[in-house]
Amino acid sequence: MSLPARPSPSEEAGEIARLLSYIGLLTISAGLFLEAVRIPTSRFEALGAGAFPMLVHAVLMLLLLSAIAGSIRTLPSEAYARFAGQVRDWARARRLVFVVFACLGLYLFAMPIAGYPIATLAFLAVLQTTLAPKTRGAMAVALVVSVLFSFGLNWLFAEVFNVFLPRGG
Amino acid sequence: MEAFLLGAGEVLSPVTLIFMLMGSVAGIIAAAIPGFTVTMAIVLTLPLTFSMDPLQGIAVMLSVYVGGYTGGLVSAALLGIPGTPSAVATTFDAFPMSRNGQPGRALSLGVWASFFGTVISTAVLIVAAPPLALFAVRLGPWEYFSLIVFALTIVASLVGHSLQRGLIAALIGLAIATIGTDPIMGRPRFDMGIEMLAAGLPFLVVLIGIFAISQLASEVEDAGAIKTGQKLVVGDIDFKTWEVMREVLMRPVNLVRSSLIGVAIGALPGAGGSIANLVAYDQAKRSSPHPEEFGTGIPDGVVASEAGNSATAGGGLIPLIALGIPGSAVDAILMASLMVHGISVGPRLIMDNADLVYGMFFAMAVSSLMMLVVCVLSMRTFLRVAEVPKWVVVPVVLVCCVVGSFALNNRVTDLYLLGFIGLFGYALKALDYPLAPLVLGVILGPIAETNLRRALMTDGDWSLFVTRPVSLLFLVAAVLSVAWAVRGILKSKRQTTDAKDTI
Repeated sequence: MSLPARPSPSEEAGEIARLLSYIGLLTISAGLFLEAVRIPTSRFEALGAGAFPMLVHAVLMLLLLSAIAGSIRTLPSEAYARFAGQVRDWARARRLVFVVFACLGLYLFAMPIAGYPIATLAFLAVLQTTLAPKTRGAMAVALVVSVLFSFGLNWLFAEVFNVFLPRGG
Repeated sequence: MEAFLLGAGEVLSPVTLIFMLMGSVAGIIAAAIPGFTVTMAIVLTLPLTFSMDPLQGIAVMLSVYVGGYTGGLVSAALLGIPGTPSAVATTFDAFPMSRNGQPGRALSLGVWASFFGTVISTAVLIVAAPPLALFAVRLGPWEYFSLIVFALTIVASLVGHSLQRGLIAALIGLAIATIGTDPIMGRPRFDMGIEMLAAGLPFLVVLIGIFAISQLASEVEDAGAIKTGQKLVVGDIDFKTWEVMREVLMRPVNLVRSSLIGVAIGALPGAGGSIANLVAYDQAKRSSPHPEEFGTGIPDGVVASEAGNSATAGGGLIPLIALGIPGSAVDAILMASLMVHGISVGPRLIMDNADLVYGMFFAMAVSSLMMLVVCVLSMRTFLRVAEVPKWVVVPVVLVCCVVGSFALNNRVTDLYLLGFIGLFGYALKALDYPLAPLVLGVILGPIAETNLRRALMTDGDWSLFVTRPVSLLFLVAAVLSVAWAVRGILKSKRQTTDAKDTI
């Protein structure tokens, strides 16, 4: 039997990251499988509330174990040493993605406190100015869009659709 | 006939037509924006339809759907970037045609092919959905469970680069669906004592988080490109409306074949426009006397891809109406829209709400006509939308996603969930897991569990799943779909190895 095709150095980091994801998912799946086992069965039916989750997690664990075995077979041992550096490069190239998620997290956290219009105004203003080219025109557009989609959208939903977005408190 | 006239009357009411026109325009604009998919456009339309009548709401969403499939061709033809995954094959010929100085002809060919594709698929839908629904009501829980297994295996095998990850994603979706109270006895499961999880995860929030947030985040991956804020479209566009219509109609075999492929693929639960356009293009190329010309900017390629992807709109409604199983993420949202209005979707839909179903058929035809008129009259104006830079689109659409998620249940906890699911979806996308099987797993999970448990409550014999002919047929089809995918993977691996050996 021939050995599986080796990934190129550029694909190695992705494969190691996937291997880590398989291990993480396997751990969670195993935990949930054990929890499903503990769900008591019902006397009204052959299967209880835990049977279907057990079935799902059992098949998922089998697939994950097979995926882990496949990944380990394809990865050369020296790939692991290069992984940390490749992850750093990957994260550096995608720094704006992290900025977007950080802004989104703060926005969602602040909305119940500050209310929809103010939280949205700040979110749009900060994120747009971060992403936009630094010109006066772009900044003016960002400001108009921020006001339109914060106070404008809040008014539209309240007055037209009768849906009240968080007011804060 | 009475139900048909009732449905048609409601669709043709001035208010509905105005809303549909707005939906059509919104769909075309949305899909013309790079990174904004038809699914996202439909997701954002959903909360706006809550206050409408069921048919009116569905008609508006269908007009967004039909408009969106056409809008995807705008950036595919002009920039070589598929505006939606369903327009991938459109880039193969429409983009070279634009580069050869005929951007208007490329767009016009796509619009006409989309129109005829939708009309053909609506005709098939009207003929095929009622008999299929009559057949579907005779199916028992064994058959339904096997059908869902088939649907999940087929989507896992068709989407993405790895069958294994496709199946893992589908099972993650099923696992997410088990959180909250169980669907038969109402017993709490996996809620970890967190109130937000006790009622289960609302699948529309999961859908928005998985598809929209992850897609938007991946749009800002290229920091250099986003900071330049460059314009996307340049050059003059001449639409040549009637000349191109004749050109499309001169290719009846390609048009009908591609549309029927679109309907058939759309009717398979889990498949959709993203697969249909590639298969239709492939078949057009295989049956052409000059296959070598494909990819150089020929009309046959544009017609095949656009007729194929637009026909999936009608095809996708077949399993939704006849079986209550959404064929794609968009169909799932249409299903959710009906459920929000208290209408149970399933084989009895066409019997209990015939006017609604016939109204949906009629709305499909009206939507395609509306899309055509809107495109012909104002394509040049719409193209301005493609000039909106990503630094505006990404933050604004993120806000729209947040508003859409909140408006579903007026719950702040849904917003936190949206953030977590969005991050999880982006991680999965970055790790090359296909997202469509996961979302279908979340949607089909409760249906699969209910039918499995109901089957075994009726008769404890597991062998019934393989002794009942229709159930066996679906299970065999599920095994074959996996085997077919494995064969394809082995074949491509062999070709790669051979190519390396040659070098």
